[in-house]
Amino acid sequence: MGSKSVIIAKDLTLAYKPNVPIIRESSFRIRSGEFVFITGPSGSGKSTLLKSFYGELRPQSGALQIGGVMMEQIKPAKLAFLRKYLGIIFQDYKLIKEWTVKKNVMLPLLIAGYSKDVCEAQTARLLKHVRLQGKEDYYPLELSGGEQQRVAMARALAHNPVIILADEPTGNLDEYSSRVIWGLLEGANEQLRTTVVVVTHSIPPNLEVPYKHFYIEEGKIYEIS
Amino acid sequence: MKSLKNHISLIIPLFAILFAVEFYLIIDRLIADYEVRLSSDYSIVVVSKKPLTLEELKVVDPGIQSMKEIDSTLIINRLKENSISVNYEELKEYLPHFYRVYLETLPSSQQLEELREKLSKVDGIERVETFRKTHRKIYHFLLFVKNISKLFLFIIFVTSVMLVFKQIEVWNLEHQERMYIMALFGAPLWMRNAILVKLSIIDTTVSTILVYITYSYLISSGSIVKLLGIEDLSIDPAQIAGDMLWLFGIGLFISMVNIIIVSSRQYRIATV
Ligand SMILES: Nc1ncnc2c1ncn2[C@@H]1O[C@H](COP(=O)(O)OP(=O)(O)OP(=O)(O)O)[C@@H](O)[C@H]1O
Ligand SMILES: [Mg+2]
Repeated sequence: MGSKSVIIAKDLTLAYKPNVPIIRESSFRIRSGEFVFITGPSGSGKSTLLKSFYGELRPQSGALQIGGVMMEQIKPAKLAFLRKYLGIIFQDYKLIKEWTVKKNVMLPLLIAGYSKDVCEAQTARLLKHVRLQGKEDYYPLELSGGEQQRVAMARALAHNPVIILADEPTGNLDEYSSRVIWGLLEGANEQLRTTVVVVTHSIPPNLEVPYKHFYIEEGKIYEIS
Repeated sequence: MKSLKNHISLIIPLFAILFAVEFYLIIDRLIADYEVRLSSDYSIVVVSKKPLTLEELKVVDPGIQSMKEIDSTLIINRLKENSISVNYEELKEYLPHFYRVYLETLPSSQQLEELREKLSKVDGIERVETFRKTHRKIYHFLLFVKNISKLFLFIIFVTSVMLVFKQIEVWNLEHQERMYIMALFGAPLWMRNAILVKLSIIDTTVSTILVYITYSYLISSGSIVKLLGIEDLSIDPAQIAGDMLWLFGIGLFISMVNIIIVSSRQYRIATV
């Protein structure tokens, strides 16, 4: 594929504490429009790697470029700008407890500054996709774990992000709901050429799009083909 | 509901501060009224060989408000009572003029001494009686009341500021997660803070209204003046209404300081 790289890591080292690296001097690149799986044992640093992609953890050494932005010295304003183009599904969902389902899904649209009508329409559409119509006015804590996860999914897709970063997006879902989620991610990837990076424990069988697979172990990232 | 609890926890310290500030404003005005009344009760006596006019004295000290000649027959009558045998008609010609002089404000002991000296130098004035002892009692009492009220405000203010800082911590904890999540999706600072600004405007408005209602009640029931034992002085309810704009401003100012403190912590979250 000749399309340009949206994520480039060169000798990337990630650590929470000095001298305790979670990811060690790893290099890889993810091209625009790719569908990428990241797997690895629990505690291997999958979530940590995603954190560095959305700028919550700065590289300790090496270089990391996201959408052409150097993440080592990124300024808050630039980071906020970059994050508008990301759609993130967190392992612990990170829904806003004080907000209704509808408002949670609307968050990226509000940040992008869409009109109220567009926000409403888009939110309704997505909630239908994740089969949560009728729960618009619920609060996150009134939902089951799987339902919360689907709200997080809808929120991540709401603003048609350029890159989707999903941390175990089907971790809490039954088979049917999981298929719906994979379908949505595939749809975004196929129709909108969205780059999708998914952390998961098991790659779903019979996926329709081509994908790449990174495996993390002992701080190193391996590409499996 | 949760959001109600959020509001109340901000309204209470704001109410405490605004209540204290308003209390100080009221007490301050009452003391000023009280001072005027005390100074109108207090006068000095000037004895002069020739008649004096108010204009003359005002030149000496503009703080002199009015004067009243003491009728000399009063003095003669007192002599008569003591059956001192003199020619009273002749004496009347002979007697100097006595004046009771009222001042605009109650002077300090030093100011009073200066006034006495200035008056003594005036041509014709033979004696100035300032009733130093009475004056000192009144003056020191007022000073005492004023300082007590200042001390009182200071204590309330410090306590309330501590309450507010406590509240900042709670606020910070309560909103940190939401602001953090918003930051993760790239929300600009103003958007993350919009909730806090909205919240503080609502809560300041509610606190101000509550303070107004409380004082309107306390004033109409006469509780404050009764408490202070100055029932003959009155508090103007219109003035209280006028204070509310100030209180709202103060409350909002304090809230905005909170927000700045809270958002300076968010800055760290966004940059990790
Ligand atoms: N905030 C943090 N501070 C310090 N160490 C951390 C922090 N977050 C994670 N770690 C450490 O980093 C390592 C990798 O954690 P991470 O969450 O990336 O694992 P993971 O691969 O996502 O695991 P899982 O599959 O269980 O989600 C762990 O050993 C963890 O203890
Ligand atoms: Mg993880």
